[in-house]
Amino acid sequence: MFIENGFLLVIAALPFVGALIPGLMIRAGRTACASFTAIPTAFALVLLAMLAPEVMQGNVIRYEVEWLPQLGLSAAFFLDGLGLLFAGMILGVGLLITLYARFYLSGEDPMGQFYTYLLLFQGAMLGIVISDNILLLLIFWELTSLSSFLLIGYWKHLPEGRQGARMALAVTGAGGLAMIGGMLILGQIVGSYNLTDILTEGEAIRASEWYLPALVLILLGAFTKSAQFPFHFWLPHAMAAPTPVSAYLHSATMVKAGVFLMARMWPALAGTDAWFYLVATTGLITMVLGALIALFKDDLKALLAFSTVSHLGLLTMLLGFGTKLAAVVAVFHIINHLTFKAALFMTAGIVDHETHTRDIKRLGGLRHLMPVTFLVGTVAALSMAGIPLFNGFLSKEMMLEEAAHTTWGNSPYAVGALATLGALLSVAYSFRFIAHVFLGPVRDDYPAKPHDPPFGMWAAPALLAACVVIIGILPAAVVGPLVAVAGGAVIGGGEMPYYSLKIWHGITPALFMSVIAVAGGLVLLAMHRPLDRVWNAVPRPEAKTIFDALIARVAGASRGITESMHNGAISRYLAIFFVTTLIVGYAAWAGGGLTEATRAPLPVPPAVAIGWVLLIVAVISVTITHRRRFLSLVIIGVVGLMLSAGFVYLSAPDLALTQISVETVTIMLLLLALHFLPKETPVESGAALRLRDGAIAAASGLGVAALAYTFMLRDVDTISDFHLANSYEGGGGTNVVNVILVDFRGYDTYGEIIVLGIAGLVIFALMETLLNGPVARRLRETVYEPDRSRDRHPLMMVVATRVMMPIAVMVGIYIFLRGHNEPGGGFVAGLVISIALLMQYMASGFAWTQARQRFEYHGLIGFGVIIAGLTGAGAMLAGKPFLTSAFDYFHFPPIEEFELATAMAFDLGVFLVVFGAVMLMLYSLSRLARIAGETVNREPMDYDPTDRVENRKEA
Amino acid sequence: MIQADLNVILPEIVLALYAMGALLFGVYTGKDRLTGPLIWLTAGVMAVLAAWIGIGGEGTREAFGGMFHDDGFSRFAKVTILLAGAAVLVMGQDFMAKRDMMRFEYPLLVALSVIGMMVMVSAGDLMALYMGLELQSLSLYVVAAMRRDSARSTEAGLKYFVLGALSSGLLLYGASLTYGFAGTTLFSGIIDAAGEGQAPLGLLFGLIFVMAGLAFKVSAVPFHMWTPDVYEGAPTPVTAFFATAPKVAAMGLLARVLHDAFGGVNADWSQVLAVLSLLSMFLGAVAAIGQTNIKRLMAYSSIAHMGYALMGLAAGTVLGVQAMLVYMAIYVTMNVGTFAFILSMERDGQPVTDIAALNQYARAEPGRALAMLVLLFSLAGVPPLVGFFGKFYVLRAAYDAGLVWLAVAGVVASVIGAFYYLRIVYYMYFGEEGEALDRSRASVAGVLLMASAVVMVVGVVNLFGIETAARAAAAALVN
Repeated sequence: MFIENGFLLVIAALPFVGALIPGLMIRAGRTACASFTAIPTAFALVLLAMLAPEVMQGNVIRYEVEWLPQLGLSAAFFLDGLGLLFAGMILGVGLLITLYARFYLSGEDPMGQFYTYLLLFQGAMLGIVISDNILLLLIFWELTSLSSFLLIGYWKHLPEGRQGARMALAVTGAGGLAMIGGMLILGQIVGSYNLTDILTEGEAIRASEWYLPALVLILLGAFTKSAQFPFHFWLPHAMAAPTPVSAYLHSATMVKAGVFLMARMWPALAGTDAWFYLVATTGLITMVLGALIALFKDDLKALLAFSTVSHLGLLTMLLGFGTKLAAVVAVFHIINHLTFKAALFMTAGIVDHETHTRDIKRLGGLRHLMPVTFLVGTVAALSMAGIPLFNGFLSKEMMLEEAAHTTWGNSPYAVGALATLGALLSVAYSFRFIAHVFLGPVRDDYPAKPHDPPFGMWAAPALLAACVVIIGILPAAVVGPLVAVAGGAVIGGGEMPYYSLKIWHGITPALFMSVIAVAGGLVLLAMHRPLDRVWNAVPRPEAKTIFDALIARVAGASRGITESMHNGAISRYLAIFFVTTLIVGYAAWAGGGLTEATRAPLPVPPAVAIGWVLLIVAVISVTITHRRRFLSLVIIGVVGLMLSAGFVYLSAPDLALTQISVETVTIMLLLLALHFLPKETPVESGAALRLRDGAIAAASGLGVAALAYTFMLRDVDTISDFHLANSYEGGGGTNVVNVILVDFRGYDTYGEIIVLGIAGLVIFALMETLLNGPVARRLRETVYEPDRSRDRHPLMMVVATRVMMPIAVMVGIYIFLRGHNEPGGGFVAGLVISIALLMQYMASGFAWTQARQRFEYHGLIGFGVIIAGLTGAGAMLAGKPFLTSAFDYFHFPPIEEFELATAMAFDLGVFLVVFGAVMLMLYSLSRLARIAGETVNREPMDYDPTDRVENRKEA
Repeated sequence: MIQADLNVILPEIVLALYAMGALLFGVYTGKDRLTGPLIWLTAGVMAVLAAWIGIGGEGTREAFGGMFHDDGFSRFAKVTILLAGAAVLVMGQDFMAKRDMMRFEYPLLVALSVIGMMVMVSAGDLMALYMGLELQSLSLYVVAAMRRDSARSTEAGLKYFVLGALSSGLLLYGASLTYGFAGTTLFSGIIDAAGEGQAPLGLLFGLIFVMAGLAFKVSAVPFHMWTPDVYEGAPTPVTAFFATAPKVAAMGLLARVLHDAFGGVNADWSQVLAVLSLLSMFLGAVAAIGQTNIKRLMAYSSIAHMGYALMGLAAGTVLGVQAMLVYMAIYVTMNVGTFAFILSMERDGQPVTDIAALNQYARAEPGRALAMLVLLFSLAGVPPLVGFFGKFYVLRAAYDAGLVWLAVAGVVASVIGAFYYLRIVYYMYFGEEGEALDRSRASVAGVLLMASAVVMVVGVVNLFGIETAARAAAAALVN
């Protein structure tokens, strides 16, 4: 039955709110800080106690606040038996730790900070155990990682502390992130992110095809948090933290979060083979391995840390068995482990605090010096060893009983035997703790003089030790109801398995196993010294070095990947780019969707075939000879000519005309520019690289060709028909290309001429800047070859170009005028006249031509753009959209009737811009030449032809 | 008629007029002496525009016959872009002033590229798409190479330009194929031509090449090669800009093209996006591990983050687009903060980008270290910081759309990726003793660092309501 109660929210919020206070009152002293930490904790505990009766009756308390509903996240809390158990543990032990830390930490440590972190952690931990929403649980889960990171690293001056904090964070943080995936899958299978829903949908979850990934991801989170093999290595290294932290995080709470999660998810996930083999096996291995390592640790806290690992393994194994009884036993053992392990940690802390060492080899004989500590420590350690009358015995017996009944694979004994081995080792290290620290002769070489600490420090462990005994003797009366209700929550309702919490169960297999364990443990302890020597002599994998090596290896591999891929060479980037595109293109091609060809290929007359072959040969030649720039420029000219011829053949005279004039102008400009550049391209790549690039280029080219060919064989809707139909009626011209340029897509053309104009101006501006800099100096130092022809402006050419000039201009004007109806137009006209002028520059020299220049080329560009723009704006004056053309027919005798279109004015603008831009580029280049010391001819000829070379030589 | 059209693009026109006017003003008056005021003014103009678009914008409007859309989606993206641009402009000022990089063209180039981005996310036509894209790219090429005296910066700019031009070419090729087959450049026409189910081969090729071109802009693997070099080579304020606004714009544009023009054939592109996303997430996560330069590291980090955003897009659903938008908004906020921090990393007045320089940083500057810690955890997607919500959104979207494998892979990649963020935290809090960085001074960057860290924490409450806005935006895009 669900009961709404807002107290739950208050309990969850209290630690976080309380966390603000100690941090703000660092100066108020230790006691004040501790008190203000204890108050919210105690208050939360009281509230919890008020809710407890309802829970103990089997009800579930729930409270939900909307948060981010679209994401499925809500601040939903619920409290059932399991939650109650853990919440009580967290708050109760938290209170004890607060007290203990007050005395443990020295005055120099920043107290407020410590308590703030502690409360943050407490809040996060509490959040985990009472969250209903699994996303909320995730949030708290990672919050514990973060706050524990701060707590572990609290003593920043210790290098081990840093290492420990890093490892703990890396391992648990990563596990938590993996869990996000698992939670996502769970939530999606069930359709709700609330645990109360998820836990009832166990069958649907287990039947889902995504069960296994979800399980693995969630277990990754749980295993890393609970330090299960192979992630067990971080926990001992985190022990560099102050002991109160170790006691709280690493025995009572945080490491139990993983176990808690497995218990919580038990109804949803447990019961499958995958669960059994993953969880139980991991737990079993961890239990034995942890206990084995613990036995040989000399650092008191490391011993306890590995024993914690071992006990966590035990809990994991119990949950992994998947039987209801085992789950209940696990709950019982959680309580027991909490009591004795927290007490042990605090005892170890006291020993460390008093003797200033935790090295077992330097301890011994403390029994007489610290009797209270000895008593507390011994009680707790005996419980850990599983000696009767202490609570550890009860749950260990039940565990062994379960283990004895479990079959792993085909072997019915493996689990039982290994569990006994674990228990045996556990006995050994527990007794070692007692014997090597407290028993034996008193030594005189302790780093500090030990004596029992003040009451405040041993009160907390003593209280826990008392619990150990009380539970040990009267289990059913003290914790029976709690185990029942918490166990019931773990197994998700239904019938409780039969179990009884009592000391004497009769003569059972478990009893034998216990006896073997205790006896064997004592033998092992007796043989500890020689065994220790063997242990230290045998090389064994050290998890930390493996972790570090792994990290180094991964970083190395990552660097390898990066360097091979991102070596900074753009050629490699381009290669990757093209290869990818090819692959993607191929995938699309292979994906189907190609319709049948609807067109037959056109016949290929021989002349066309020859042209085609010429084109290909030219292209290949350019590739081969591209280092010799003049040569390749000439060949590029051939390519351009063949293209123009192609346009002519395919009945596109306009394109042909444009192509050929553009071709001429660009080649000429390039020739002029090349004059000032190196004539050869340096070789930069080896043969293998060129082969690679060649292959990629060939594949890309073939791909594009195949694509083009395929598409040409198929009919597509084009807008040509629209243009053909509307060219005359709408634009008043029969030359569709020209009408498109000046009318249909007048905007484009307008934009283009502006761009062209800007390009001309930019070239000019760049040249200007260049010639004011160091480049000018280099140019002035240009040394020309001595055997240059003196006849750089040949008479024949001078005469021919001057004669051609008016003719060429006439042609240009003619082309311009006919443009609207026949092939031609402003663009081509501009180019034609530019070519005529270019020829003058080349034939008669820069200076001669410049002297006859009437207009500034900049101005031409500006006028062109303005004329074109005004033409467009004129249309707006007439109430039409920008650049709408108008035309009419005029008749002035004796001239025949002719047509005038506003488009012609626009075309004039185009003409002027093209002309101006090309000439401006040329002008810029000519400036270069003059600075380079090119002589300027004032006369029509460079030299007097009558002045023979021989004569000059003599002179 | 044209009046109505112009009204729709008024914000773009205002910004364009401002940029050109300020350029002329700068040329004829103070030139570089004006840079400081111009940076603030430009940022102010962009912030005002963001407010105008964000608060004033309503409904769905079209301009120029559907070539330009003003809808919830474009407004969401525009506000993000404008705010990110303004923030990055302002925070780089100190850095640039100290290194004699205060060219007055810089803020104006940024403004121009922002106009390009605004057009991109509003594009309803291949032409508008290309115009916006090129305006953006050309401005970015120039700012990448802004330090003409630095070989690295010039090289970065050149590389970016060459590869960018290539990708633009690819995109144009795709666009012309698309046009050839659809007979129109309007997205609304293309979607009719593409039909439902599977696109005809010609359109499919068009789609693929357009996607390849855009993948370059979002630096999705394997079109990402320019990213580390350019991030490293460009001046840090420019890198910060690269990492933020252009990414949002390119993502927005990608979403627009895919849903508006190819919405009917989403099986075709969903697979491609899923692969891009997968590769990006993993390469970003793995390659960043070995980095020691924080700018390069952030480059790989951004590659990985783009992988996640693409995952949302790959879902092809309303939730997917919503997730992508939320993710991008969060990503931009985180990056603004992180780069604000990187900008202030210097020793003896010289910028430092080596991660090892952060050793023991927390001891010297606990406040800033804490802010950076929050940001890094958020980048890693660790709950409860805001970064987690972004990540969870995309994972959910992918899962809902049946891309479970991709979601699981994303989780695995985030686990790998967390490592390198945590490494920086580790250096800051527990690194070896070493030469310390200079003490930071009060600066705009410092304020932005703190602000973005606070957002990462406070945003947990309700994500500042952006998810609702993103939902409306996504719904406007996906029909």
